[in-house]
Amino acid sequence: MFGFLKKVADYTRDAVDAANYLAQGLAVTFDHLRRRPITVQYPYEKLIPSERYRGRIHYEFDKCIACEVCVRVCPINLPVVDWVMNKETKKKELRNYSIDFGVCIFCGNCVEYCPTNCLSMTEEYELAAFDRHSLNYDNVALGRLPTSVTSDPSVQPLRELAYLPKGVMDPHDVPANQPRAGQLPAEVLKGLSLQKDSSPGDGGESLQDAPDGEQSAG
Amino acid sequence: MTIATSTELICFLILGAVVVIGSLGVVLLANIVYSAFLLGGVFMAVAGLYLLLNASFVAAAQVLVYVGAVNVLILFAIMLVNKREDLKPIEGLALRRLLSGGVCLGLLALLFRVALTTPWAVPGPAAVGAGATERIGEHLFTDYLLPFELASVLLLMAMIGAIVLARRDVLDADVGTGDAVNQALVEKPQTPLLIDESRS
Amino acid sequence: MVITFATAATGLVSSGLDLELSFSQSLQGLGISPQVAHLLWLPLPMLLVLVAAVVGVLVTVWLERKISAAAQQRIGPEYAGALGVLQPMADGLKLLMKEDVIPVRADGLLFTLGPVLVLVPVILSWLIVPFGQNLLISNVGVGIFLWISLSSIQPIGLLMSGYASNNKYSLLGGLRAAAQSISYEIPLALAVLAVVMMSNSLSTVDIVDQQNGAGVLSWNVWRQPVGFVIFWICALAECERLPFDLPEAEEELVAGYQTEYAGMKFALFYLGSYINLVLSSLLVSVLYLGGWGFPIPVEWLVGWLGQSVDAPLVQVITGSVGIVMTVLKTYLLVFLAILLRWTTPRVRIDQLLDLGWKFLLPIALVNLLVTAALKLVFPFAFGG
Repeated sequence: MFGFLKKVADYTRDAVDAANYLAQGLAVTFDHLRRRPITVQYPYEKLIPSERYRGRIHYEFDKCIACEVCVRVCPINLPVVDWVMNKETKKKELRNYSIDFGVCIFCGNCVEYCPTNCLSMTEEYELAAFDRHSLNYDNVALGRLPTSVTSDPSVQPLRELAYLPKGVMDPHDVPANQPRAGQLPAEVLKGLSLQKDSSPGDGGESLQDAPDGEQSAG
Repeated sequence: MTIATSTELICFLILGAVVVIGSLGVVLLANIVYSAFLLGGVFMAVAGLYLLLNASFVAAAQVLVYVGAVNVLILFAIMLVNKREDLKPIEGLALRRLLSGGVCLGLLALLFRVALTTPWAVPGPAAVGAGATERIGEHLFTDYLLPFELASVLLLMAMIGAIVLARRDVLDADVGTGDAVNQALVEKPQTPLLIDESRS
Repeated sequence: MVITFATAATGLVSSGLDLELSFSQSLQGLGISPQVAHLLWLPLPMLLVLVAAVVGVLVTVWLERKISAAAQQRIGPEYAGALGVLQPMADGLKLLMKEDVIPVRADGLLFTLGPVLVLVPVILSWLIVPFGQNLLISNVGVGIFLWISLSSIQPIGLLMSGYASNNKYSLLGGLRAAAQSISYEIPLALAVLAVVMMSNSLSTVDIVDQQNGAGVLSWNVWRQPVGFVIFWICALAECERLPFDLPEAEEELVAGYQTEYAGMKFALFYLGSYINLVLSSLLVSVLYLGGWGFPIPVEWLVGWLGQSVDAPLVQVITGSVGIVMTVLKTYLLVFLAILLRWTTPRVRIDQLLDLGWKFLLPIALVNLLVTAALKLVFPFAFGG
């Protein structure tokens, strides 16, 4: 008898708990309605890509020496370097260079290893095309410079989350002169050198040991 | 003839045609799914006839019970076991069809005779109309209480029977003989569940 | 049918606006017989309600998109009209323009008939939705029962389209929809029955009248809190809204019974589901939240202002307040449904059936019995 009553009581408690959790969930959803949208209205507003953004590869035909290092370091040997050996001058003569961005994974190895810096990463990411073959960029297409988000008059540039001032989540209406959260690399270096000057006992340490020095100083 | 009566007549003729043609379709169509859907249409048309007789409660109940429950369950059952299999040709199909058609026609003739010879009291009793709900309730709980309860008991029995038949339950002992039953392989349908012949 | 409409029109001694009477009188002034005037009147409210239903759906779709966006910190539709109010219209136009695809191996007849069978009962159910004392198409005696029986036709359409699509996902979706619909019909009907027991009538107008004695305090939600919750859960399940959208669960069934549909036939399903949502919310407000009633009875307000209830201007104002209150309550419930959509995860099919048969059904039965007992004990408060 009491076992049955206990079952009923447990069941009722479960039901009440479930209703309670449901109410809590509803409260969370309702609370979200209060928050403002921070979405970027894409074609009209665009985020400014970061300095290290690995976008479409830019290529300067005149700097290239057709060494094919980019092909060797590419995970899938993607760049096509079309050259012939000029018998008279005994030099490589570059005819064509192309990268298929439908296949490229934007790892940046080719840019890293290029001996003449003729390859570089741009901030362009809008590569959509109607035909995948038109993603195969030749040296002319690779030589084009992308339109910067900041210089495009039809686009409202917005800062990415990491570049916003501390505590700010919404990139809209942030004044351009407000600094980002944290320090720039130059400021970090400056702070380190000041610290080095103030603690002469640890004079000969490298940059990597700086935190240790800070601890010992403190 | 006023607008109201002529509309009523037109509605009656349409509904009657739907009922007759639909029920012929239910019986004669080869595709069982079509038959089931047509059955739903026939039920709806019958509900429409009730509505014409100013019995809106009965009409709504007809739709709820026959279309919403019975027909949906029929469809459900058909679709759950929707196996296309070629039926074996039956011996003497033409003769069988002829015989069953004859029986049906005889029944129809009998019904026609009853309908034509009975002295119907036209016009019938006045329609209760909006008060029908209360009247039905009163009747169900007074003079028709026993048939009503018997019907519910019958339905309960049918339900329990269906559950017993459909349920794969594990029993300790054989229902018929009282012997212990091997329960090791209940999930395998090849072995008979309850009757273990090697023991007897 | 004609008789039903006629009795509905004449049966009730009118208090408040009676548009039909004035319409037919003005036509009779032009020398037209009362019968013809009645015949001319019949299509008008139907057309009006059809338009109201479609506009209600457009508003609901817009609300759904905007509220969903707000719950996810997005903006939602913005460019079609101010704040994107024309977006549902654009969606509808797009669906209207799209090609009507019927799969080759599908059953063309049933494939076309399915969406119609889903939509028609839902629109027919608007017959009984009252926006005011006389602001409904037909005060049918069986009122709310008509809605319950009409909504039971819908699963046939779903099964039909699921079967005719000749697609396993469609068939599974149709079967699930039918199972869900049958399971939740019963607790829904029992919850309605408890309300009907208190108001002694199946008619929606009587149900609202019974709740409007003392404004907000006499609404059924205080007397039937359990029934209210049961009805709301079942209504969500009947509308296939989250958390009960198993028949069209994207992750499992692509889109359930509407997988193969495109263009206007898909739009019919879409329209049907949203009209159903609005209708369910309307009926919750009618059954539990006092329908067109203002939180303070309008008669009291009018009495305080020293006006007669029968004055034409007061009647017009009362009528419009009634419509506004009904719509307001309805859209509050729609808002709740949208909020629930983004709060609750989808239940599994066994959980769904467990909830329906093992939880809601017994509770609805107990609720019914308790209501009957209370009605016998406190006839003044529970409609003796």
